[in-house]
Amino acid sequence: MAITPMEIYKLLPKTNCKKCGEQTCMSFAFKLVNRERKLEECTPLFEEEKYARQREKLIEYLKPLEEATETGLIVKEELCVGCGNCVVVCPVHVEKDPYGCGSGLAPKTDKLILKVENGVVHVLDMDMCRRYGKNRVLCVVCRENCPTDAISFLEG
Amino acid sequence: MSGNTEYYTCAGCSCLCDDIEIDLDGENAKTVKTACRRGSNIFLEYKENRAEPAIEGRKVEFEEAIKKAQELIEKSKSLAIYGMDTIPIEAQKVAIELAEGKEAYIDNSSSYCLGDFVEMVLKKELPTATFDDVKDYAYVIFYWGVDPHNSLPRHMSRYTYYPRGKKRQRGYEEDRYLVVADIRKSHTAMLVAKNARFIQVDDDLKLVDAFIKVIDKQMPEKYADDAVRVIREMQKADFNVIMGGLGLRYGLKGNYEKFKEMINKMNEVAKVYFIPAGCHANMRGFNEVLFEKTGFVNKYSFKDGESSLDYAFFELLKNDKVDTTLIIGSDPVNSLPFEISKKLAKINTIVVDPRKSFTTQIAKVVIPSAISGVEQGGTMIRSDGVRVKVNSLFEREINDVYVLERLKEVVA
Repeated sequence: MAITPMEIYKLLPKTNCKKCGEQTCMSFAFKLVNRERKLEECTPLFEEEKYARQREKLIEYLKPLEEATETGLIVKEELCVGCGNCVVVCPVHVEKDPYGCGSGLAPKTDKLILKVENGVVHVLDMDMCRRYGKNRVLCVVCRENCPTDAISFLEG
Repeated sequence: MSGNTEYYTCAGCSCLCDDIEIDLDGENAKTVKTACRRGSNIFLEYKENRAEPAIEGRKVEFEEAIKKAQELIEKSKSLAIYGMDTIPIEAQKVAIELAEGKEAYIDNSSSYCLGDFVEMVLKKELPTATFDDVKDYAYVIFYWGVDPHNSLPRHMSRYTYYPRGKKRQRGYEEDRYLVVADIRKSHTAMLVAKNARFIQVDDDLKLVDAFIKVIDKQMPEKYADDAVRVIREMQKADFNVIMGGLGLRYGLKGNYEKFKEMINKMNEVAKVYFIPAGCHANMRGFNEVLFEKTGFVNKYSFKDGESSLDYAFFELLKNDKVDTTLIIGSDPVNSLPFEISKKLAKINTIVVDPRKSFTTQIAKVVIPSAISGVEQGGTMIRSDGVRVKVNSLFEREINDVYVLERLKEVVA
């Protein structure tokens, strides 16, 4: 399930109290999705009893954030069949390892983002992903080619 | 990873991926790299659920089981040999020699799997190509009645749709056109996005008919849009390939002539090849070995010197024509209808298998052997007809060749 700022905002106190340092609850919600802020920084949510139910819901809702990698990629190993589509289609892999991953064969280098090991895909080095760093792009090619939904992104 | 990495071959399905890296921890495989979930578990769990030599459910010494099997084969008046889909061709050859010496029936699962397509390919009635050519040149990749994402997990990522090849360097989105024809929206059909087409088929014969009519510039009854589009895409390139699976085999209902006509017609306007997309590792190997020897691919009787549907293993069981069966590396109790397979419990069934299965439970004699790719090496034939050398992780003395050579002693 995708995590959206709007869904988070609905569960926040919506008082714009500015105790977290943000101007509005909406901007706090955005920063929560980007993982620049932590939920605990919203002090009223944790101190005031009337928000108890919302707090529990939010903690549950934001759980995938902890499992996700830096670029928001989530791998559900139990759904993976190890077909390796994601490894072969990744544009970074094609550039780094054209005669290995790019040609569908076993990788010839260890500097990869994803790798199939023991029949399921594992994240090796997320820093190389195009969704990361200064010139990032919203590439979803690995998710698009995973029909079992083993790969997903926070934004859905 | 470096130039001298040793690669192993996975004999899990007919892809026969020969780029598997394995880290060993003593006698156990610790990590298996690049293999799919199905393939990696063959290596990771090779010690589990192993068969033990047994006679009528009683555990015995290996020699005793061999002697009993030899005795049963010697006494048998009508023997059927079945299976051999997962053993190397060296062992298949011994099994065929045993069948010849004993004038037995011989068959494998291809008689209800893709044997008919393999036969057409071997008789050169259908043009065929290898996966290496597909990777380098193919534009339209047509999966017909097969869901490779589940049955042959690395088929698309290693050989066909996704990898970049010599003349197809721009990746799947621009340099390939995927067509999936299936009765339901399978996992493979979900991969149909840009530059691709999914044809939901309820009658394969009508789709065959649509292609023929479109090429003849007539209006087909159904699938007109799909057929026109696919033919137009095929004309864009000089190499297209159709991978036919079980869905196509049963969908054609035996009308292979019409299918051959369709492929021939397609070849008048474009270049189209056909590759069977099968399941078992060395099913095609058996077909080729038997074809070289007899001119038939399966369901063969050495007594009558011909192949017929009556000699298919399930027909032999159904009509109570055999008194002894030798089943090698196969589990017919699991794969055949129970009404037929339960008869295996009444006749003398000898099973040669590395693992326990439903068939070993009901067999009269169980002889354990080695797992291909893990404990025994050899040569296997991939679904496109390329011979692949299979290395073994640990060599085991008691393998299929040894067991079958011992059983062959009765006819020597």
